[in-house]
Amino acid sequence: MARAKPKLIKERVPTPEVPVEERVRSFVEVNLGYDFASALKEAERCIQCPPEYAPCIKGCPVHINIPGFIRALRENPDNPDEAVKNALRVIWNDNTLPAVTGRVCPQEEQCEAPCVMGKVGEPINIGKLERFVADYARKHGIEEALLREFMGGNGGMKGKVAVVGSGPAGLTCAGELAKMGYKVTIFEALHKPGGVLIYGIPEFRLPKEILEKEIAKLRELGVEIKLDYIVGKTVTLEELLEEYDAVFIGTGAGTPKLLNIPGILLDRIYTANEFLTRINLMKAYLFPEYDEPIAIGKKTIVIGAGNTAMDAARSALRLGTEVTIAYRRGREDMTARIEEIQHAEEEGVKFEFFVNPVEFIGDENGKVKAVKFEKMRPLDERDSRGKRKIVGTGEYITLEADTVIIAIGLEPNRIISEEATGLKTNSDGTLVVDENLMTSIPGVFAGGDAIRGEATVILAMGDGKKAAKAIHNYIQAKKANA
Amino acid sequence: MYKILEKKEIAMRNTWYKVHAPHVARKVQPGQFVIIRAFENGERIPLTPVMWDREDGWIVLVVFTRGRTTMRMAAELKEGDEILNIAGPLGNPVPMKKFGKILAIGAYTGIVEVFPIAKAWQELGNDVTTLNVTFEPMVVLKEELEGAVSRHIVEPVPIDPNLDFPANMRNVTKRLTEKVHEMLEKEGFDLVFMVGPAGDQRAVFNVVKEFGVPMKVDLHPIMVDGTGMCGACRVTVGGEVKFACIDGPEFDAYQVAWDELIARSGYYTDLEAKAMQEYMKALQGGGQ
Repeated sequence: MARAKPKLIKERVPTPEVPVEERVRSFVEVNLGYDFASALKEAERCIQCPPEYAPCIKGCPVHINIPGFIRALRENPDNPDEAVKNALRVIWNDNTLPAVTGRVCPQEEQCEAPCVMGKVGEPINIGKLERFVADYARKHGIEEALLREFMGGNGGMKGKVAVVGSGPAGLTCAGELAKMGYKVTIFEALHKPGGVLIYGIPEFRLPKEILEKEIAKLRELGVEIKLDYIVGKTVTLEELLEEYDAVFIGTGAGTPKLLNIPGILLDRIYTANEFLTRINLMKAYLFPEYDEPIAIGKKTIVIGAGNTAMDAARSALRLGTEVTIAYRRGREDMTARIEEIQHAEEEGVKFEFFVNPVEFIGDENGKVKAVKFEKMRPLDERDSRGKRKIVGTGEYITLEADTVIIAIGLEPNRIISEEATGLKTNSDGTLVVDENLMTSIPGVFAGGDAIRGEATVILAMGDGKKAAKAIHNYIQAKKANA
Repeated sequence: MYKILEKKEIAMRNTWYKVHAPHVARKVQPGQFVIIRAFENGERIPLTPVMWDREDGWIVLVVFTRGRTTMRMAAELKEGDEILNIAGPLGNPVPMKKFGKILAIGAYTGIVEVFPIAKAWQELGNDVTTLNVTFEPMVVLKEELEGAVSRHIVEPVPIDPNLDFPANMRNVTKRLTEKVHEMLEKEGFDLVFMVGPAGDQRAVFNVVKEFGVPMKVDLHPIMVDGTGMCGACRVTVGGEVKFACIDGPEFDAYQVAWDELIARSGYYTDLEAKAMQEYMKALQGGGQ
């Protein structure tokens, strides 16, 4: 039967946002997401490329059947519950944390980048549709019914797997293995699971309540989470290997890089990790209702221009300080998500480009009062990572600041590799893995920032999923040979 | 969730908690610490297991009531209650070697951190003298230390009600430095070790330095996670920035940038005072 040529709607259905003046005074979520009617309208824009071809699926690191879940929404326009349940089933096949990924993925570089609709207009708003499905399902009690379908019911008979770290890589690996019928135990050093999702990404991008519910779902699938466990200290990797059939290391890149310049130990110079941990994990913005304090002044400089820098800048702004982001390259070189840069600008964050800090200047009490920068100039060359090369001009500027947040990057924490000496690492501390994500120790797999250095949530999730398959193959092969 | 098996006040502003925490008890070594979070809206604070039983799975923490969190613990936690989170063991164990004759100093409640280290050093064949300088009503673990090391000296300093708190603390510093000077003059030591406020550590170090005796210190900068992911506890040691939680907490006193450390430990004094006031207000308000 001949199909009517699809009518192209070039522009996206917008999602409402909390007005700037209201949101800069609180940590409420900025983007409010779609309701069913608007989600349906956006879903109608999808031209339904066949799954074996659909470029959006290829662009997604966990290969969600995107046209499939969008079609499920469209198939039941008069029954939202049914539509969402069917869409969620499609998503969960590949991704157990859609409320998280729908919010924090850089879709413009992933699924939405190759979307065919993007060639003639705006790409389908895949992230917001994914988020809508997850949010609607959670609010309307649709998840519980669906969870039962995914539990498999073989009670962990296939084997036991230890997952180290409860960030995006570990949570995904655990979820995939649980769906396959493994008994999974996650070991987490902090007092709440989620890794960067709980301590790094602020409430205004990812409400913690939503994250907690996503993680609770994994518990429903039978995943056990042991908190306060520092693998390498509380328990060794060797001990884990005695008790479990395989281990997945998803310990991330949580050690902040510091600038090796004078004044780094002055008061009110934070690493972004400390600043964000105090705010997100410890809720220092609610001090003294919460016990954790945070000391902040009137003028804050954030050094760096990645997502962490945007999160730190926008959080600082909400504590009532003026904020300037200082970056050694230019506007077009910033690595943060476009949406976050836009939000930061709307909220009043200022930017200084082509400035490289050379010294922190303190007052008589040991508090920072200014930062001295060298002005930089771009060259017409790129470095090995594809970034524009820059050189110093020999000219300097000094900017006043009574708070400084350093967000120049992170590297892997070495606690586990220092303890487990058989675990091979690269010079930057990342773990060496083969094409199946297996480390130098048989049965020990790794993924996410622990092998990549600082990357993205969704790449970590992709690794978690790939490792889960490899772990499954490894355990089943071992059992067959036993 | 970790059950409090015992809770008692063992001296003025010093509370003893025996807590069920088998994951820590089975692994902890002298010199290591834990991070605890006692309340849902609470902060994470570093504490040191003083004693432990690997088989029965308990650890003992002795906590000095210093600010809001420690006061809340003293006021609100009862035997049978649970501490929400105890993460650990963290940090590096102190080296277990034969140093010879050791003077291990604990200023105030710092002596509780000296206890497991001094005991283990003694058991290994060192000749350990422990010294506790503190206010008279705050002497703790006297008998335990007397039973564990060659010699335990207590130097109680009376609290002078006519003086303010900083002045009283200066008396402790004075007694500390005088006593250490006296001891080093009279007898030779192969190693001095000290736990106490950074200001007192520096004061004692200045004395020890004169005698050229090696000295180790347990440092107590502000900590948040205790696992090396934030750098709140950074200190300059030997010209390099180190994180006390993963590189320490024990360092060579001769390598520490003392002024910086002392300045950093006072960063939150105003907010700490505010937190304490709010809590006191809430306590008083609750009764009216």
